[in-house]
Amino acid sequence: MHEWALADAVISTVQRLYEENGRKRVLSVQVLIGELQHIEMEVFSMGLQNLLSEHPFSSDVFHFETEKASFRCNACGNEWLLEKHPDLGEEELEAIHFLPEAAHVYMRCPSCGSPDFALKKGRGVTIKSIDLSDD
Amino acid sequence: MIDPRLDVIGKRLEPVRRIIPVSSAKGGVGKSVCAALLALSFSQGGYRTGLLDLDFQGASAHLLLDVRLEFPEEEAGIKPLRTGNAELDFMSFAAFSREHTVPLRGSEVSQAMLELLAITIWNPLDFLLIDMPPGIGDEIFDVLRYLRHPEFLVVTTPSRLVRHVVERLVAMLSELKVPMVGVIENMVRSGSDSQAAQLAETYGTTLLGSVPFQEGIDDLLAAAAKGDRLPETLANSIRSITARITSADR
Repeated sequence: MHEWALADAVISTVQRLYEENGRKRVLSVQVLIGELQHIEMEVFSMGLQNLLSEHPFSSDVFHFETEKASFRCNACGNEWLLEKHPDLGEEELEAIHFLPEAAHVYMRCPSCGSPDFALKKGRGVTIKSIDLSDD
Repeated sequence: MIDPRLDVIGKRLEPVRRIIPVSSAKGGVGKSVCAALLALSFSQGGYRTGLLDLDFQGASAHLLLDVRLEFPEEEAGIKPLRTGNAELDFMSFAAFSREHTVPLRGSEVSQAMLELLAITIWNPLDFLLIDMPPGIGDEIFDVLRYLRHPEFLVVTTPSRLVRHVVERLVAMLSELKVPMVGVIENMVRSGSDSQAAQLAETYGTTLLGSVPFQEGIDDLLAAAAKGDRLPETLANSIRSITARITSADR
């Protein structure tokens, strides 16, 4: 259910931009969902729908795109995808779901074993673009 | 790309009246102990109090406050954990990392801090104390950037070396015109050569008081979080400090 807090954040940003731009009609909002956070889309969408009741735009304007999580090791330069970690347990995945940086606690570079790696893409919820009407 | 979390942090902290980051430029001066002592004292004084441990790599406030580490309950966000008998709201990276090592670079610390601030649903609080990591780095600048009206509390000790380093932090906060609730001098033994009053005065802030050195403070605090009494001298010094903070209440 903490997806609702993130849906609330997305709506807050759209509301701010809507007001800053003279309350022009919101045509579309492209939301990027990073694989690492394991967002439950059904819960996230339900959160959006419920929270949008007090806002002047509907859930129809929101479009979602998922992004695979990819990593790069700062120690050896190895690059890999999340699917290289099938060994992550339920508790570990849950921790990463709440706080994606917990990945650094539970994951290591598959090549050299270093915990010093960077998440290149696919962390969590970001807004890729917002289109407002010209009229 | 737009980070939506930035737009919701203010809303999350609306129920919090005063935010006090407990900071020091030097490690090992007792920031966590002071933050926990203050949190207990505020709570026992009837103030609704929370503690946020932002020292991700050295998270320890949960040990001082007898917090059982578990995933937080979810309800349109995550609910703070509760401490032993102390009825404090509590949040820490340790709820997710448990007792594992937390190897984060600065940008990752900032990301984790943003996430916690964006998803934690604080109850109405009079005081939210923040246990800050040592140093003048990402966490300090992130707190200054993302939180409205933080009032820094700076911890020093009678050590000349500590005071020398801590002065850099106080000078920077003063230069940036960041509100400071005051300075605490920790680990004071009888006959200590205190320079803390002078430090506070130089930078236009207040010496809130001294905290005596206390053998076994970690265990005493954990017991106090369960309801035991702290040694009288220690308890009085903390009560005096919290009284000074609340007397300056806005």
